[in-house]
Amino acid sequence: MNDSSSAKVIEWLKSAGGITVTCTILVAIAVSFHKGPYVLVNTLVTGGMWALMAIGVSLLFGVMNISNFAHGEYFMIGSLTAYYIMNPLKQYLLETPNDFLSFITPILGIAGAAIVGAIAGIVTDKTIFAQLRKRNREGWLLNCFLITIGIQIILINVHMLVFGNTFKGVVNYWDVPSVAFGDVYVSVDRVVVFGIAMAAIVLFWYLMMYTSLGKKIRAVAQDENGARMVGIQVNGVYSTTFALACGFAALAGGSLLFMFPSYPTVGVAPLYNSWFIIILVGFGNVAGAVPGGFMIALFQVVTRTYMGEGWENVIPMFLIAMILIFKPYGIFATKVRSVWEQ
Amino acid sequence: MNILETKGVTKRFGGLVAVNDVSLHVEAGEILGLIGPNGAGKTTFQNTVAGLDPPTSGEVYFLGNKVTGFSPQVMCSLGLSRTFQIPRPFPKLTVLENVLVSTVFGNTEPVADKVKHARDKLDFVEFPLGHNVLCETLNTVQLKRLDLARALASSPKLCLLDELASGLSEVELEDIIAIIRKIRDTGVTILMVEHIMQVIMNLCDRLAVISFGNKIAEGPTGEVTKNPKVIEAYLGVEED
Amino acid sequence: MTQLTQDNSTGFSGILGKICLSPMGLAGLAILFLLPLVPPFNQDYMIRWLISGAIVAAAAVAFDFSAGYLGIVNFGYAAFIGLGAYTSAIISNKIGISPFITIFAGALVSAGLGVLTGIVSLRLRGMFAICFTWFIGIALMGLCLKLDWLTRGPLGLQCDGFFEGNSSLPYYYLILAIMIFTYLVLGLMIRSDYGLAFRAIGQNMEAAMTSGVHPTKYRVINFTMSCFFAGLIGGFYGHYYGILTPELLHTQKTVEVLVIAYIGGRSSLWGGIVAAFPFIFAMELLRSSLSDLPGINLIIYGVFLIAIMVYYPGGVAQFFKNLTARKQRSTSSTAQKAKTAEAGV
Repeated sequence: MNDSSSAKVIEWLKSAGGITVTCTILVAIAVSFHKGPYVLVNTLVTGGMWALMAIGVSLLFGVMNISNFAHGEYFMIGSLTAYYIMNPLKQYLLETPNDFLSFITPILGIAGAAIVGAIAGIVTDKTIFAQLRKRNREGWLLNCFLITIGIQIILINVHMLVFGNTFKGVVNYWDVPSVAFGDVYVSVDRVVVFGIAMAAIVLFWYLMMYTSLGKKIRAVAQDENGARMVGIQVNGVYSTTFALACGFAALAGGSLLFMFPSYPTVGVAPLYNSWFIIILVGFGNVAGAVPGGFMIALFQVVTRTYMGEGWENVIPMFLIAMILIFKPYGIFATKVRSVWEQ
Repeated sequence: MNILETKGVTKRFGGLVAVNDVSLHVEAGEILGLIGPNGAGKTTFQNTVAGLDPPTSGEVYFLGNKVTGFSPQVMCSLGLSRTFQIPRPFPKLTVLENVLVSTVFGNTEPVADKVKHARDKLDFVEFPLGHNVLCETLNTVQLKRLDLARALASSPKLCLLDELASGLSEVELEDIIAIIRKIRDTGVTILMVEHIMQVIMNLCDRLAVISFGNKIAEGPTGEVTKNPKVIEAYLGVEED
Repeated sequence: MTQLTQDNSTGFSGILGKICLSPMGLAGLAILFLLPLVPPFNQDYMIRWLISGAIVAAAAVAFDFSAGYLGIVNFGYAAFIGLGAYTSAIISNKIGISPFITIFAGALVSAGLGVLTGIVSLRLRGMFAICFTWFIGIALMGLCLKLDWLTRGPLGLQCDGFFEGNSSLPYYYLILAIMIFTYLVLGLMIRSDYGLAFRAIGQNMEAAMTSGVHPTKYRVINFTMSCFFAGLIGGFYGHYYGILTPELLHTQKTVEVLVIAYIGGRSSLWGGIVAAFPFIFAMELLRSSLSDLPGINLIIYGVFLIAIMVYYPGGVAQFFKNLTARKQRSTSSTAQKAKTAEAGV
């Protein structure tokens, strides 16, 4: 490492972001020594998925200026789909064991969840937001915010009406022995879920940076009319963005089915978490969402471990409020004023 | 007497130095023109003076007092008001209410009949429409007049005008020149950013020229316009 | 200030105008006063529906006071209501003071938190401010659940009623009085210079600052007032229902108020009142007639909200404004016609 890059690293470590990340890592290490490494495992598994959710919210916000308060409901759609794919298959497998099918069942469930979530996203865009775009751009930010609240109410209650107010979950994905990392045994499910989150994030990053679709999305995010002028089908890009964002949420829902069984309001906690992350790292900051996701997950796991169930929203909340007082644009944010701060 | 004086005002945005070590003064009662190529930092300079963007370093003195980094609302009540290059009034308020905001909250002296005061200012700038029109229905020319009335309604001692004349037709230019002269005659000092030579030559007593954030000339209008540095800075712009 | 810019109408409606009422509004209030005496509305369950309507209406007015004028949606609004409710209930339970006094204590505590939130959220803009209030709400609800030695948590906190006996009628008149009080106080504030400052800040912060408006001061004042009335309404809520659970602080309750306020039309204050009564009635009717389909009323709620936002974002208030504008236009055009006819003769 030469001098200038190490100077940059030191500079970054001194910034708010650097300090927070360093503190988080230290806390994580301290807690794993004190309470055992399972705290860390839970943090990693859920944190990756919260990051995925936050990326979706951030994407919708950056590209379409929609602050999606129904994002948790796409998580719910994902977990519901995964349940209705996995459960019948698992029932069938009980009667007729089949190695290949039992291997592929969770994969089918999770993939199905992502696909259904993406379709739900497209439907939402076409039926509601495309209509709004055509009609009325005034007060867009607030109108969209209220519309997503409407979507949230509808989806929660449709779930309750059609599928009932019960917990619909599976105990585990694969009936195989846990993986050993030294002395620590981690179930395969958790390892795979963490892998899915990381793979999705890398895939998303690649998509945004190196494909023409990503370029189109970034172009529309910067200037809709400019993008239109150079011949980008803006409506198509919007639908794709919605599909991506909601697909990610549903992927998270499907992947975490073994920890969060599906019920009508299962999406509320993930929604809170993704907004915690976004406020913490600043709007439109997709790269920041990943450390943010782990940070929030750690906050919650630590508070739950040390203070008990129910405190996990209170303590992180106060922490975030404190951070906001000193860094009003989030810890990684530059002081660029943009549309959503008006 | 200097109504406004800046000493080495510098404004940085990250790595970009928008205004670099600008020292100038505005004498009471004069019209000082602040000119320079696009992106030279004129508007940023006005923002640092008016308190919208506090300067990174340097000092601002207004009426002999140090006011560096004061908030815009305080500057307004001290007697410094400004108009915007792209007027950004309150879209859902009527024209009269727009002017009333600064009459009520920004005024340097108590006003008995606020509505009358506001209406007078609108008449003063020859606002062409009724006073109960919603602001969002106005066009740019009308908005600029409204913005001027709003700036005047706080009874300022110094008024910063930002490209008030850009985008106006020949006839409208004549009008706005007459109005600015009328404002000066009521005893308000004016610091104006302007591009249109007709307006500058007609109105400004003195000019200050900014290029790439640096002040390159200051002096009486006739002298400055002959300054080879200034001509160079301007020709550079006309090429693109 | 606004009344000066409008045509100064004289006579009865002029006097009414000074206290933010129109003849139509007065008629509406008279109807609300008489409604519980007239069959079929004099049945107890109908009066209870009317009370729910009035609670939401009053809350919507106070909510719109900051959301509609200042442009800051207080997404933790229900928590402020809940804070007032719990404070009032706890004080009256522990010390045994009459609820008529403790609801003001609750309102003051809510207002106090409003001041803090207002000051802290000052540096935040737009969505950051909204989320900040939301997080405050979530945190308060979490606290309310966990501090069960004080709030009894999900078991629910019993509170005394305002009146002896089982009749709901006195409660109805009490909440109606609170609603009118809220509307008049906030309406008069909007009409004063304060209102001008609120609207200026809400529409363009920078222009407001360069016009000399002190954003800190007015944002805090606005937040405090809005939260004060939230606490007051919360106090009534607790002593009326007789039991408080942390569910009251849930975001869902904020959404209920918000939906009514926006269906009523933002920055109108009275729109929320007009929207609340029919809407709550419709909801309750739906709920009781479709009791085998739980949640169907909320689905309709959501559909309605989306439809309003997409097709008619101005809400009820905009509808009335358009109606009067059309009426004026038609009368002026008839006058025009009459004039030309005269000239022709």
